Amino acid sequence: MATKQLYETRQLECWGKAKEIRENYYRDYATAHDRGALRWAGGAWTFGAIPCGLGEDVYSITSEPYAASIAANREFSNRCLEATERAGYARDLCSYMRNYWGSLLLDEFLWGGPFPKPDFIWQDHICCSHAKWYQVVTDMEPEIPHFSIDVAVGPEQEINDNKVNYLVGQMHDGIEWLEKVTGREYNDDLLIEAVHNECRATSVWAEICNLNKAIPAPLEEKTMYSLYVLGTLMKHSKVVADFYEELRDEVQDRVNDGIAAVANERCRLMSDTQPPWGFLSLFRYLEEFGAISVGSLYTFGLIGLWEVKPDGTWGPRTTPQQLGVEIKDRDHALRVLTEWNLHKPEWQHFYSPHVKTDMMVRIAKEWSLDGVMLHYNRGCEGLTVGIAENRLGLIEAGYPVMTFEGNMGDEREFDLARTMTRVDTFMETLGLKKE
Amino acid sequence: MFEQFREWETNRHEYAQEWKERTGGKVMGYFCTYVPEEILHAANVLPVRILGSHEPQNVTEPHIFGMFCPFCRDCLAQGLKGRYDYLDGIMIAQSCLHIRQAFTSWEKHRPREFSYYLCMPHHVQSPRALPYLTGELVQFKEAVEEWTGNTITDEGLDHAIEIYNDNRRLLRSIYDLRQDEHPPLTGEEAMEMVISCQMTDKEEHSGEMAKVLDALPTRGNGRDPGVRLMIIGSEDDDIEFINMVETSGATIVVDEHCTGTRYFWNEVEPRDDRLEAIAARYIDRVPCPTKDWEDRSRIPHILELAKKWDVAGAIVMQQKFCDPHELDTVAIRKALDEAGIKTLFLEFDVTVPIGQFKVRVEAFLEMLSDEDLFD
Amino acid sequence: MITAGIDMGAKTIKVVVLRDGELAGKSIVIAGFDNRASAEEAFAAALEDAGVSSDDLDGVVATGAGRKSAPYSTRDVSEVGCDVKGTIKRYPNARTVIDVGAEEGRAIRCNEQGKVLDFALNEKCAAGAGAFTEAMSRALEVETESLGAMSLASGNAVPMNAQCAVFAESEVVSLLHAKTPKEDIARAVHDAIASRIVSLARKVGFEPEVVLVGGVAHNIGFVDSLKRALECEVTVPDDPDYIGAYGAALAAAEEG
Repeated sequence: MATKQLYETRQLECWGKAKEIRENYYRDYATAHDRGALRWAGGAWTFGAIPCGLGEDVYSITSEPYAASIAANREFSNRCLEATERAGYARDLCSYMRNYWGSLLLDEFLWGGPFPKPDFIWQDHICCSHAKWYQVVTDMEPEIPHFSIDVAVGPEQEINDNKVNYLVGQMHDGIEWLEKVTGREYNDDLLIEAVHNECRATSVWAEICNLNKAIPAPLEEKTMYSLYVLGTLMKHSKVVADFYEELRDEVQDRVNDGIAAVANERCRLMSDTQPPWGFLSLFRYLEEFGAISVGSLYTFGLIGLWEVKPDGTWGPRTTPQQLGVEIKDRDHALRVLTEWNLHKPEWQHFYSPHVKTDMMVRIAKEWSLDGVMLHYNRGCEGLTVGIAENRLGLIEAGYPVMTFEGNMGDEREFDLARTMTRVDTFMETLGLKKE
Repeated sequence: MFEQFREWETNRHEYAQEWKERTGGKVMGYFCTYVPEEILHAANVLPVRILGSHEPQNVTEPHIFGMFCPFCRDCLAQGLKGRYDYLDGIMIAQSCLHIRQAFTSWEKHRPREFSYYLCMPHHVQSPRALPYLTGELVQFKEAVEEWTGNTITDEGLDHAIEIYNDNRRLLRSIYDLRQDEHPPLTGEEAMEMVISCQMTDKEEHSGEMAKVLDALPTRGNGRDPGVRLMIIGSEDDDIEFINMVETSGATIVVDEHCTGTRYFWNEVEPRDDRLEAIAARYIDRVPCPTKDWEDRSRIPHILELAKKWDVAGAIVMQQKFCDPHELDTVAIRKALDEAGIKTLFLEFDVTVPIGQFKVRVEAFLEMLSDEDLFD
Repeated sequence: MITAGIDMGAKTIKVVVLRDGELAGKSIVIAGFDNRASAEEAFAAALEDAGVSSDDLDGVVATGAGRKSAPYSTRDVSEVGCDVKGTIKRYPNARTVIDVGAEEGRAIRCNEQGKVLDFALNEKCAAGAGAFTEAMSRALEVETESLGAMSLASGNAVPMNAQCAVFAESEVVSLLHAKTPKEDIARAVHDAIASRIVSLARKVGFEPEVVLVGGVAHNIGFVDSLKRALECEVTVPDDPDYIGAYGAALAAAEEG
């Protein structure tokens, strides 16, 4: 831990631009039909690059970020959750789904007006809920066509042609399906461009997270949530890829100038799983102790793509463009897209928590951490699967770990006061007092 | 008549250990019915399904977060308590998130000489799943050969497939008898039969079933069947509960759940490529909720079962916290309701409050009987 | 040096006064709706018991769920920290402290210097605290105080769901209707709580000497169940409810 000192801080210049991109995204989706454009719904991990081949006027709404936005608005969230419960769905289901379905059932869009129905559903499937989420949507809205791609083929060390062919095969089928349901002809050039943008965006996001190894950290996690979200909205877009490069340059400047996210940074932590979206003030509370969350496997690896560099440390994954790969045709584009995504850090733990533990220990080491805060998130089984073993593994590796139970999207299952008391206790064990 | 099945089910550990000594073969504990048992059989491995013991325990908290289903924690507890130390290997075929934690924690803290995670595809409704799973089975077969030192030949696979299909046909034949106005066996007896099937040598089990199938038509148990029910769920082996329902004036005549018909309903159809034939069976079988998408294929199947077995009501035995099943329940209940079949929804944990459930079951049965009166 | 520690618990408020490290006075008051007023009452009673006035105090530390609203204290320390401080002073070989209070169960591991190494608290799914025994006593229509002795009279282990308090209460009603002897049910209740607590203890990895503190430690039935579930000896202080306040008073002395 650094001794008591105050670092210089500075507002993020591109903060306003990030907000604008996000606002435009939702507005473009909601108003798409006014312009005769297409709009579709799917998860943040879906292969968003593929529908790009349908034209330059194709917009999307990704499920998890929309649901997280609802969760941040506790009053609206409660109405959505209650609507879902009235419809007979269990309370322990993924809270993102329940918020999303509620918005649909109430026919209320978070930013006003009725829920803008998608023209089709284009989804991926890795956790139990993914494809089923949209199956329930089609239970509610049977006219909306639905296609999901199964990506649960095993960890990156075991990638082989058979697994890649399975994904690519589904993608080819998916493109035929897209042509059928939209009546449009597919443009492979647009696909290729989108694939390159996705690789660029996700690699540069990792570059940005990598810069947080610096002491003091130029960014802290609460801020990073508002930045990484763009990658969950449209990682395949030029807008986001360009923005991330701009952001990276600014963060690099901050590192060069020794700018800190939190002036009194004394203790570096990481979290895990989604935060309780309605209670991000928890991160501000940490700052009272001079503690900062510099990120998490979730923030780094949900969208970011990484690799082990020659010096043995983690760094941004080298993109196909950087390797000089020229995508020749549709099949090649789909293969590049598949292999790129199969290396996603947040896809590995589905097969073994011990792989995730290794990644978390690596982050703790390379980002110079003093402790870990694990959110035992009742709202998401996909990211909480194996978390108890992660805790054991981190303790074994010598890191102090604090756990707190909560829910990313159901405020009734999160007790802020109790969690803050737990933070007090944890800080006490780390020898930190409030300032 | 069903005592042998109950004996096998209650003394599952003794059975497996005795089998090991007798045959010199290896025993593989498995989680999830998507495990391709035929391949194991062809390598002289006895596959045994790992199930819980329905006792409260305090050992899994450090390993599995309490919000995951009680069943997966109960399974892991068996391993942590050393009850399955005789297993030579453990494996899982990918289905739900919950149960895979029992496997990954078991693998780390009670390692066996062999463990395997088979990436069973979820998109079984896609034509791409078959070549993919076939490829995965090629790798799996090689791993099993290396582990056991036994070569798995086409003849071996043919033999295993025949034994498994035979076993499945016998189960179906006995289930068919339950369509009778006076089913010659109770749901409890059927459950003992099916659960014991998942932990014994298939030939032995088939031998016992053949005897039972012979004797059943003349059994005449003189039992008033009462209300005809079906049970629907994820994993169910709550024999005590089934007994309570059937002593309250009902008979469970058919089921659609993981430890019931989903385990054995479909046969392997012959193909030149034996692994492809096996893969096709697991892809085309009645699906676990985790694999039933984009279309809901469980629903027409459930409705058909309800019709054929002339069911008056269905009990949805919801395993607490089981997300995949919770995602299906609303649609299933709606479909049953539209077909004129009433449902009772009950949530299950490791132990069940029999008294409280009896009150609900009795009220349900009364409601169904009243309806009969006015039909 | 004279210091005081206030433990603002969910159900009761305890105050301990120390003079040069030795116990000088103590008091316990049921926390009323206005828990600050109850705290003042407890504080006054403890000072009187010690024969000192508030001017004599060199330091006051508060702990417990309601510690932010404690009167007189100059700072607060977590329950986990105070439990360990109080325990290690009395029992230098203590390496695991288990605290079962009215609303929360905790397992803490510490080293010989009294440093907290790891801690675990009961989470959402928990029948692991004193309020549960009160609810069960009501269901059994007995006084909470007699529940412990009643369970020791049982020779039968009846399995009860230890995961969910609501399910467990359902089971008690079922067992009563099935004419299960009350002694067996009482034991099942204690076994269920003990099972929850041992789950917590396993999370931090318990090792001897294990010391049990908190109000529920008075319950001999629970203590028996806990020993059986842990499969090891458990030390119970004579005044288990005061350990937190004692630790707080020690913390006040540390500051000087």
